[in-house]
Amino acid sequence: MRRTTRTGTPGADLRGDERRPPRRPPLAALVVGGLLLLVLSLLVTVTIGPAALGVGQVARVVGHHLGLVGDVPALHDAIVWDLRAPRVLTAAAVGAGLATAGAVMQSLTRNPLADPYLLGLSSGASLGAVAVLVVGVSLLLPVAAFAGAVAALVATLTLARTAGSVTPTRAVLAGLAVSQLAAAGTSFVIFWTATGDSYREILSWLLGSLAGATWPSVAIAGSALLVVGSVLLVVGGRLDAFAFGDTAAAALGIDVDRTRWTLMTLVALLTGAMVAVSGAIGFVGLILPHAVSVLTGPTHRRLLPVAALTGATFLVWADTLARTVFAPRELPVGIVTAMVGVPVFAVLLRRGRGTAWS
Amino acid sequence: MELTISGVGVRLGGRWVVDGVDATPPAGALTGLLGPNGAGKTTLLRLVAGLLPPDAGAVLVPAAPGSSERTSSDRSSSDGAPGARRTPVHTLDRRLRARRVALLEQESSATVPLTVREVVALGRIPYRSLWGTDPDDGAVLRALRAASAAHLVDRTWSTLSGGERQRVHVARALAQEPELLLLDEPTNHLDVSAQLALLAFVRDLGVTTVAALHDLNLAAAFCAHVLVLADGRLVAAGPPADVLTPPLLREVYGVDADVLVHPRTGRPVIALTGRA
Repeated sequence: MRRTTRTGTPGADLRGDERRPPRRPPLAALVVGGLLLLVLSLLVTVTIGPAALGVGQVARVVGHHLGLVGDVPALHDAIVWDLRAPRVLTAAAVGAGLATAGAVMQSLTRNPLADPYLLGLSSGASLGAVAVLVVGVSLLLPVAAFAGAVAALVATLTLARTAGSVTPTRAVLAGLAVSQLAAAGTSFVIFWTATGDSYREILSWLLGSLAGATWPSVAIAGSALLVVGSVLLVVGGRLDAFAFGDTAAAALGIDVDRTRWTLMTLVALLTGAMVAVSGAIGFVGLILPHAVSVLTGPTHRRLLPVAALTGATFLVWADTLARTVFAPRELPVGIVTAMVGVPVFAVLLRRGRGTAWS
Repeated sequence: MELTISGVGVRLGGRWVVDGVDATPPAGALTGLLGPNGAGKTTLLRLVAGLLPPDAGAVLVPAAPGSSERTSSDRSSSDGAPGARRTPVHTLDRRLRARRVALLEQESSATVPLTVREVVALGRIPYRSLWGTDPDDGAVLRALRAASAAHLVDRTWSTLSGGERQRVHVARALAQEPELLLLDEPTNHLDVSAQLALLAFVRDLGVTTVAALHDLNLAAAFCAHVLVLADGRLVAAGPPADVLTPPLLREVYGVDADVLVHPRTGRPVIALTGRA
């Protein structure tokens, strides 16, 4: 064995097989593969449900709406175009958005446990959503949820900045405080006003659910993903500079404060849009970036696009499970993501990848 | 790089952590930054790196990259002389500054499982285009080879020994192609042989380097020039043999020491007896 100088640093004593160079497939292969898998998943999951429809029938309905095919049965059209298609597309957009937001948040805070909701966003959105749910104007739900998320973000960043620059620790602590406050507000509203029916509706929203997805949901989640996601793809490369901390990033020519502020705001807007259409679906933003980085490595130009594609596919399938396993009853998809996410988390933890997990 | 530290001071938390430091580290050579804990070494390095705007004075560097070679023969040239235009380092554009000045922190560990190639590629960030492509594909491997770390290229960062990590850090700094290299206690946690190898390597780079060092004998053996800080002020500067004298060591470090001459290299060797 080579002469080595031990430092007592954790990670220096990894098992022999950890010394093998990690396999990193080319980015193009991962993106093309991920894209194919996603498209295939969308096509297959649209056919799954209580009314058995084949791929051919689904294709005819889609073709009809693209003006390629003549008349299709009205029932098929209603099931595919009005119910299932907006639902799987919303799931894909939300999954992609949450996975991207989670990956960016973990790098910005240098915290492997960070997720898109870290800045109190989900609690703020919940407070907004619950407030309109008990009043009974569910039409306003996305607007109220988004407003709640933005209010939480503003509160968190204001709190974090009162002590000076937005360091990762300050952001996390401020997010925790805002999150607790909003959660208390939510509990208060539920405790004071909720009755039977609205209670179940509220609980389902708090756990995250895509049951209410419509074409406007696709538009909200999809456009947020396209706009914010593409900006994150371009500027996300700068996140690499944070690997060794703020000073190292500054020495590499990064405006640390401005970059962190901008990226946190972008992530918050993206997350706010996702929460507005689906409630706070957990574990996608936490687990997916870690799972994907096994293949891509932690550099963001590779990690972000693959995480987005994988997150989309993952949530499409999780939601399909949520609506079929106990059909006709539906589970909130947040329960499924947690049930799949925790074992994945356990496997990743066992692998003990690098210093972040030791 | 022709570097002038001119009356630099900074207040942190109401205290002058660095206070009126004047120094001109020689171009193309290794300068040791000495002083007890809390003397302001790390803060001075951050000031010289341009990461911390000074509250007094300025750290001046040539306004344009690469002009140091032409002006280094004329050490007495004043700041206003044509061809040697100087500019405060903290006012340079961040990206352009990162192409000229590299700083290695004292303790820096990654939270993500990067490979050595990816770590060194971080040093190319100041050169990357908006789309993240590096105009110079070979720069990462060149930097690794220069730091004698090419054999580590596919290893995972977390599996490296302390000495290997420090070499890869130096390679990351070299990938920035700096004219000025700033090292904060680069020999910390290294065994004796790795300490000697690293400092010999840095000394022979030919890049203007300022390194904060704790080990006086290492500084005496490898540095062309030393700066001694105490309580944020510069108390002595010059070649190690002139600066590292028993009275200075007593005054700055509070130790009783004899300074001998190394029988083979002729450089000073500090023999410590105890606290003064």
